[in-house]
Amino acid sequence: MYSDVIYTEVKGEVAEHDITVYALSTCGFCKRALAFLNDNGVSYRYVYFDKLSEDEKASLRKRLMNDYKEYLSFPYAIIDDKDVLVGFIEANWRAALGL
Amino acid sequence: MDTKKTFDDTMRFVTMVAAKQNWGLHPDRSFLTDIVDGLTVNFNRYGYFACPCRDATGKREEDKDIICPCNYCRPDQEEYGHCYCGLYLTREFAERGGIPAGIPERRYKGRS
Repeated sequence: MYSDVIYTEVKGEVAEHDITVYALSTCGFCKRALAFLNDNGVSYRYVYFDKLSEDEKASLRKRLMNDYKEYLSFPYAIIDDKDVLVGFIEANWRAALGL
Repeated sequence: MDTKKTFDDTMRFVTMVAAKQNWGLHPDRSFLTDIVDGLTVNFNRYGYFACPCRDATGKREEDKDIICPCNYCRPDQEEYGHCYCGLYLTREFAERGGIPAGIPERRYKGRS
């Protein structure tokens, strides 16, 4: 997570991992990914990338690529500040989060 | 100024595109509704149907490859049976009851 980005925090009873999700408010797979985390009671933070300014988006895109070596496509979840899940395939998210 | 679109306008648009191309639409009504909602928001934001699963700039020239149906729709259909968003399915994928899943972003292929 970056201190200059305003994330929405979601508190759940499962908080084994630090999870930050970059999503689009318009995207069906993003909605399913956030619903998956909610349904499994997982704590996470998220930001809707499409609601940021163009300057904020450009800066974030650059930093994410630099820090995590993955092009930003959505949903984009950073687990424990090291692993990145790009796109929503439920089985992959389940495995990565140990659910 | 472009006229605003309603959900029904956008549903008519995607239904017309699918019929013309002989494609199916996502079989789950709730998922389809989410995609059509997203397309409607993007039309009303940018003035064109920017893909709801990709970040658009609002500059038509920069976004032209991701205006629905996007430039990656056919290659994604050929490889996975459906487009990146899961909106448009090939007839064959639809008829065998396939459910779209997340697929890799083809837009960045070949970029360093």
